[in-house]
Amino acid sequence: MFRMGGVTDEDKLDSETTKRVLRRAVRMAKPFRRTIAAALGFVLVSTLGLLMGPIIVKFAIDNGIDDGDRDVLRNAVIVYVVVVAIAYAASRQQYIFVNRAGEGFLRALRVRTFDHIQKQSLGFFDRYQSGVLISRMTADVESMAELVQWGLLQFVAALFLIVIALILMLTLSWQLTIAALLVMPIIIIASRKFQRDSNQAYLEVRERVGQNLSELQEGIAGVRVVQAYAQEGEQTRQFVSSNRSLYRSHVHSIRVSTWYFGLVEALGVIASGLAIGIGGWLVNRGDVTIGTVIAFVLLLAQLFEPVQQLSQLYNTVQSSAAALDKLFGILDTEPDIEGGDQALPDRGALVVDDVGFTYPATTTPVLRDVSITVADGERLALVGPTGAGKSTVAKLMARLYDPTVGTISFGGVDLRDATLDSLRHRVVVVPQEGFLFGGSIADNVRIARSEATDDDLRRALDAIGALERFETFEDGIHTEVRERGSRLSAGERQLVSLARAALVDPAVLVLDEATSSLDPGTEVIVERALDRLMVGRTTVVVAHRLSTIQNADRIAVIDAGQLAELGTHDELVDLGGRYAALADAWAQSLPT
Amino acid sequence: MPDPDSSRAKAASTWPLLWETLRAQRRNLLIGTLIGLAWSVGKIASPLLIRYGIDRGIDEGEWLWLWVALIAIAGMVAGFFTALRRFFAFREARWTEARLRERLFSHIMSLHIGYHDRAQTGQLMSRSSSDLNQIQMFVVMIPITLSNLAMVTAVTVILLVTDWVLALLALASLPLIQVAGRRFSRSIHPAVLAVQAEQAELATVVEESVGGVRVIKGFGAEAVQAEKLRTEADDIRRESIEAARIRAKFLPAMELLPQVGLIAVLWFGGNQVIDGDMTLGTLVLFNVFVALLVFPLRMIGMTLAFAQRAAVALGRVNEVLDISSQVQDPERPESLPTVEGSDPNRGLGAVSFREVSFAYPADVRPAEPDNDAGPVLDGFDLVLRPGESVAIVGATGSGKSTVARLLVRFYDADSGSISIDGVDVRSLTLHDLRRAVGIVFEDTLLFHDTVRANIAFADPDADQERVERAARLAGAHDFVMGLPDAYDTMLGERGFSLSGGQRQRIAIARAILADPRILVLDDATSAVDPSKEHEIRSAMSTVMDGRTTIVIAHRPGTIALADTVVLLDGGRVVARGPHADLLVDEPRYRDVLAAMDADADAEADEAGGRTDLGSPVGGD
Repeated sequence: MFRMGGVTDEDKLDSETTKRVLRRAVRMAKPFRRTIAAALGFVLVSTLGLLMGPIIVKFAIDNGIDDGDRDVLRNAVIVYVVVVAIAYAASRQQYIFVNRAGEGFLRALRVRTFDHIQKQSLGFFDRYQSGVLISRMTADVESMAELVQWGLLQFVAALFLIVIALILMLTLSWQLTIAALLVMPIIIIASRKFQRDSNQAYLEVRERVGQNLSELQEGIAGVRVVQAYAQEGEQTRQFVSSNRSLYRSHVHSIRVSTWYFGLVEALGVIASGLAIGIGGWLVNRGDVTIGTVIAFVLLLAQLFEPVQQLSQLYNTVQSSAAALDKLFGILDTEPDIEGGDQALPDRGALVVDDVGFTYPATTTPVLRDVSITVADGERLALVGPTGAGKSTVAKLMARLYDPTVGTISFGGVDLRDATLDSLRHRVVVVPQEGFLFGGSIADNVRIARSEATDDDLRRALDAIGALERFETFEDGIHTEVRERGSRLSAGERQLVSLARAALVDPAVLVLDEATSSLDPGTEVIVERALDRLMVGRTTVVVAHRLSTIQNADRIAVIDAGQLAELGTHDELVDLGGRYAALADAWAQSLPT
Repeated sequence: MPDPDSSRAKAASTWPLLWETLRAQRRNLLIGTLIGLAWSVGKIASPLLIRYGIDRGIDEGEWLWLWVALIAIAGMVAGFFTALRRFFAFREARWTEARLRERLFSHIMSLHIGYHDRAQTGQLMSRSSSDLNQIQMFVVMIPITLSNLAMVTAVTVILLVTDWVLALLALASLPLIQVAGRRFSRSIHPAVLAVQAEQAELATVVEESVGGVRVIKGFGAEAVQAEKLRTEADDIRRESIEAARIRAKFLPAMELLPQVGLIAVLWFGGNQVIDGDMTLGTLVLFNVFVALLVFPLRMIGMTLAFAQRAAVALGRVNEVLDISSQVQDPERPESLPTVEGSDPNRGLGAVSFREVSFAYPADVRPAEPDNDAGPVLDGFDLVLRPGESVAIVGATGSGKSTVARLLVRFYDADSGSISIDGVDVRSLTLHDLRRAVGIVFEDTLLFHDTVRANIAFADPDADQERVERAARLAGAHDFVMGLPDAYDTMLGERGFSLSGGQRQRIAIARAILADPRILVLDDATSAVDPSKEHEIRSAMSTVMDGRTTIVIAHRPGTIALADTVVLLDGGRVVARGPHADLLVDEPRYRDVLAAMDADADAEADEAGGRTDLGSPVGGD
């Protein structure tokens, strides 16, 4: 999965937002506080262990080597060994615990975001491009993984190291501490500047990488056009220029970090020099021991790396915060279709009353003043020109959307007041194409009713006359359908889709009739399955075929978002309106 | 522009490619390495000076501040060269990456369409991004590792000379760091891949849940998907923690191994100092040097692992570069006949397909449900006089679009011949051929660029007047003027989004500007606002006027634009004549038209409130 489009404004968080986002993340991490506490404990112990080395060396020099006391030296060595062993054990645990907390957090975030997305209505899915939703759940969460796996640990460890090293230095000698830290102001100023510049350079690189990737993708996707117009040279020239600007931004970001690393390195050595110079003077005055000076030199060697790490981590933290912020954006979207508390009756009429509908984020209404009553057990065909709103009527009848004005009710209950559960059991939509999920045929039918047993599934498949066909497969109904059902033919996918409806056994069927032609063999089977499925149910068909229309009890002609005509085939032909013209055209162009 | 590499012989292994790339940069890589050597001198000098500072300066009280000054100077030298080394190494690596990417892109652009129909965009993308990044990471390590090796050697020699027993004790544990580093990289890599594999599984669940949202909502199956997602999220967590276990196994060991050396130094060295055989400064020197070696040694271990990964990545990049385009310019190209006068295309543009047969290679099956492996065209004959227009009509999968693909040599016919104005298309340079034929594609792909650049695609130097003329003819000028920045409005996926019909008119303008003697209109199947359909049709008929045109018709309305209709079935022409005649005489023709009606209807209705971007891979 590639991230496209480079850096948008939402990737550039100000520090205020970053803080707010992080605070919210901390609240979300509450369930893991024990693991986090344990992790912090281990980090503390292993950092302490790492810093004890120079202290032990100092002790050994001052009390053992200088005095020629070999026992003290031996004891110091033993202590050193024990400390290293403890530090090693703690260090192993710190990786495990930090990850356990971090991955637990990410898992919770994934599950929570996904559940939240699933609660949303179809309007939400129209509003967000599917690519955006997918990248929220994948790329954005994964961009936090880096922080979780590495960053947090490094961050905390670096912080502990600096604080503990400073405390140790102060206890050893405050004069020497001041001397060694004379370079600190420069480092702080340099770090701040580096942090700012490198963050900018980093965002710039990310933006250029995004541009470069989309340019690459565009070139590959458009290669047919490019070659058809013999523009390979020009395209390559343009790509090279974008590629060079990516290269330049890389070089810029290298330059930003380069001087900083050099400076910190130089200052580290200079600080050791200062410790020796002033330390030597203090040793001569008898204020400190030579062991202390040596401990300082060794401690200083460990102090400067974490300072560098902290400045580098800033970018990781910031980009994770940006990803989190985007996720929070989704988590803060309230679902706009929620179930009511009334159960729908078993049977009843489906009443569309004065309904108008406008797709979210658009202004032109797709439907206006539509009223249709579909009696219990009636078969209604929706016909009309392309884009007139037939499918929209069907979607509203199953409450995939809520009407903008007017009401739709079943058995006298407004669909908005019905529990989602009873609604999904009474009204089922069979989409035009059989969409399959990963898993077996059985899993795919079971989507409709998760508690169904294998026998239930077989009965449902049998009810539409499809069981025999699937039983001949290698693993019967447990045959894997492979990616997007590529194992099955289009007709077989449609059968699975119908079997789902049969499994639910709904009172109302809303069908979007398939238009693409299937191979003749399955076509007949699918048609027969449909016929069996419709028996005894109220059926609304978005119809494309004359035969379907002719089999309907009544026909509703939708034109330009309005109900133009409603009646039986004969009535409408007699009316001599749009339907009559349509039927006429059909009769002429179709083979009889 | 044919790529110079395309005819290159297959490389024996992947390394020649790297070698070739690096040779061009050898000067800077050498400079980088020399800088690295200067860096190691600076790095080694400071601990040595610190020793003198302690022994002479503090212990003996001599020249204390001189040593301090020297330490500071050594620090500055080390810092300066650290920066310089880093700069050179990273810059050269990025340069390698950039140049390889350009080479790849230009090569990809020149590869025959048969390759592109087979290859996945994502695959090619990862060749040119993540694979090149792996290579880049290895190139960074070259000068850095060389100077690290120099430093490790120098330090080892110095320590051995100073006190060889202590040196052996101090350094004994260090090779283990390098070994651990290598083993770590080797075992963490599959663990990271496993995490990525689980992430991909989760992505699949998310994708199908978003794609199949209508089914899920329709049946209230949210809980089923939620359960699947939990399983995948758990798998990711499990694999990630497994990876953490590997880190836990190696990283603390690598961090603490040098401590073993330090303990040995303290014990053995401390005793020697007590015996008077060694100074305190030397003890510190050993301490500092051991610490100094840790990072370079870790890096050497990493470099080996990086090299392995880079080799794999290079292999994959090379795989692409090694493919040579199967459609090549002829050795002795002929040129198309031309006429003098104001209209260079007048009386030209005769097309003839004679006995053309073609089957797609087994692994290229442009997605069609009921497409068996037989030939798509089988003895296909079609002759067009200059200026004549023909609509090709056929069922889905009958090979309509293949006719256009063969004409511009996206594929070469298996047998038979195709010629333009009497010249076989294989005797023309690809450039001449493709400038002579203009295609308006089924999916109107627009580039992320201005309206002007999209229209002037065939001739980027075209002036505003020509662009506007083309836009007017295509019926695009009026809506273009209504766009926020008129002709400077950015289009494409990230730009201003146009309606299907508007995009199609831009694509037509693009073909008009190219002014080809033959035009191929592959009619869009994707939804066009019905009220705009006649505008597109009138734009098409303007362009077709007096120009040889092949219309690949997917909807009844477009058929009417052509003089004659050709019905394609079983890979050959089964009927030819005016629309009205075929309608009466040919039942198969009526079948095809009926199917088109239903398709177009469904497409437009499904489009709902969304804009469909269409797929880059063509239809039948």
